[in-house]
Amino acid sequence: MTQGKTGTELAEPPKKPVTVSINGNAYRADEGECLLTVAERVKIPIPHFCFEQSLEPYGACRLCMVGVVHHGKTVMETACTLRAKEGLTVLTDTPDIVKYRTILFELYLAEAPKSAVVKEMAARYGVTKTRFLRRVDTGDPLGGACILCGLCVRVCNEIMGAGAINFINRGPYTVVNTPFTEPSRDCYGCGACAAVCPTHAVSLEDRGGERILHSWSETKVPLSQCVSCGKYFAPAALEKSVLSRIEPPLRDDLEGLCPACRAKKLAKKEILAATGGDPGDA
Amino acid sequence: MEEKTLEEIIARYDSPTGKVLGILGDIQRSEGYIPRETLEMLSVKIDVRISQLYSIVTFYSFFSLKPVGEHVITICMGTACHVRGAVGVLDALESLLDIHGDTTEDGKFSVTTKDNKFTVEIARCFGACSMAPVLQIDGTLYGYANPDTLPAILEQYGWRAA
Repeated sequence: MTQGKTGTELAEPPKKPVTVSINGNAYRADEGECLLTVAERVKIPIPHFCFEQSLEPYGACRLCMVGVVHHGKTVMETACTLRAKEGLTVLTDTPDIVKYRTILFELYLAEAPKSAVVKEMAARYGVTKTRFLRRVDTGDPLGGACILCGLCVRVCNEIMGAGAINFINRGPYTVVNTPFTEPSRDCYGCGACAAVCPTHAVSLEDRGGERILHSWSETKVPLSQCVSCGKYFAPAALEKSVLSRIEPPLRDDLEGLCPACRAKKLAKKEILAATGGDPGDA
Repeated sequence: MEEKTLEEIIARYDSPTGKVLGILGDIQRSEGYIPRETLEMLSVKIDVRISQLYSIVTFYSFFSLKPVGEHVITICMGTACHVRGAVGVLDALESLLDIHGDTTEDGKFSVTTKDNKFTVEIARCFGACSMAPVLQIDGTLYGYANPDTLPAILEQYGWRAA
């Protein structure tokens, strides 16, 4: 799908400036830069769902398809996996692309009929109806808004290292959830899945001293309470894992404090240190 | 599955990658299905997240998370078998064994008779399309299946007409 593009290109972006052409206009870009990023920077709209800066692009949603002109021939490729190089020429709205995009939006409207994001984006491209059978499931923990792009699965596995959720089943039966659709023991409750979800399908809620991940089989994780102001501020497991990566003197200062109280304490300490006061009662 | 048996299966695969399917396949063959406890034990032993293993097990129709009967009958519903009448064979089988099944929410089809003697499952192509429609019982392939030849085949596995 990504046509052999490797991660190294993204990990160490070469800074050589190149000129790329988008819809007949020339733009400057860094060699190896993701074309979708270039287009976004110069305000050329290319629709997309599954692009997430913190993860390697993987062209899952297929929406960012553009026409690449090469020796007079135009071939379709996803802009997120396309890398800028000198002379790269792309077209974003050829009749082929428009037709392709229309069908794709129709498929998304059928796959995630409850998603406001999908509806809104499809409407922007003139698609308000679908010819395909809509996936209707009243008990769907993702509220009929999941497009199965897999960003939540990737962020949970590749970035958080929790691996609490994954794809289940295959084909039209595919869903994302916890194994055995039971509350997960691996979930930190960080909420990264909800943060990256392009259709806001992941539902979670902080209630009392708990975070409840409704979409992930009602997984519950305890929240840490700020020792200073009493506010619940982060999942306990996440706080512990973050603190374990901080050196002891600073860690002791930060432990058990919410971000606001943390800032207050550190600022007070700095000011007292600068003015020669006693940091002891900071 | 005993912990020792699982360890023996794991020991058969020394490659650091690509061993998961092999191990799961061996568990499936040995137990007839993949018991949840075994899956959880495996997750700890080979350090692969349970969510990942569960994803794989639910992806392939070869794996089953439910216990199966004494004999497993797998009917091919691949394109060739389908057009050569596999649906009729399945219907006949359902009426002979007095079972009724539907594709469950996970997209799989697996029904076991009340006496726990037979489990009927659906597969997508055995690669024996020239003999379509085909069905497999405990690993033995039967080609050119049709509703009339079914009773004779089933009798070899202890089935008797009611």
